[in-house]
Amino acid sequence: MTEWQTDVSDGVAVIVCPARVSMAVAASFREAIAAAAAEAPKVVVDLGPTTFIDSSGLGALVSGLKTCRQAGGDLRIAAAGEQVRTVLKLTNLDRILRPHDSVEDARRDW
Amino acid sequence: MTGDHYELNGLAVPDDMEQLHDLLEEASAQHPHVPASDVMMFETAVMELANNVVEHGRPVGQVAWHFRLEVAADSLTARLADSGEEYAGWDAAATHDMPGEMAESGRGLPLASAVLDELDYRREGTSNVWTMVRRWQA
Repeated sequence: MTEWQTDVSDGVAVIVCPARVSMAVAASFREAIAAAAAEAPKVVVDLGPTTFIDSSGLGALVSGLKTCRQAGGDLRIAAAGEQVRTVLKLTNLDRILRPHDSVEDARRDW
Repeated sequence: MTGDHYELNGLAVPDDMEQLHDLLEEASAQHPHVPASDVMMFETAVMELANNVVEHGRPVGQVAWHFRLEVAADSLTARLADSGEEYAGWDAAATHDMPGEMAESGRGLPLASAVLDELDYRREGTSNVWTMVRRWQA
């Protein structure tokens, strides 16, 4: 069971992802975003440690985006590596989940 | 070193997927001639196909798979065979249809097909067999 580290400060929740955001952790990822959004609906997903994401991880991100928006906030992604960026582009998800270079960058003007 | 192959057996459950990642990592480390970006995209496809077996393999939790990877001078080829019931959902044309941005599922096969030069499904005896090929300029 993956532990999802979430830190809330200044009204923004930051969730740090593991190396692989795949089927084995997708359900707990969804729950972690929902729990974070309940605290602060502005959520930054830190993909810095992540070298691999699959379509179930992407599904969890979309689900999280909807949850945050329904709560009056939004979801931003930060520090995505090459595989994550490529997969976002191939699935057209870069249109709704624009990658920010860093967590600081994602928090800026929010 | 080319023409090598690797084999692995597992069960169609999420926890057995990690072994596939590890095998691809090992194969990549032993074959530095394979471009890192090609390994990365091939791994993306392999995991989507394996996930598909986990999600759709019947009977649930009882499907076993056999994975074989071949590393050539200019390509990676994988064969994933599973013992599940015949896969009824295969539609080669539909694998290219990426779902809308707000969909929460249905991206697996379109994503795999986008990064592969060949993706094929066939029923062989009592097995479902998936073949995946990615080539590069050697």
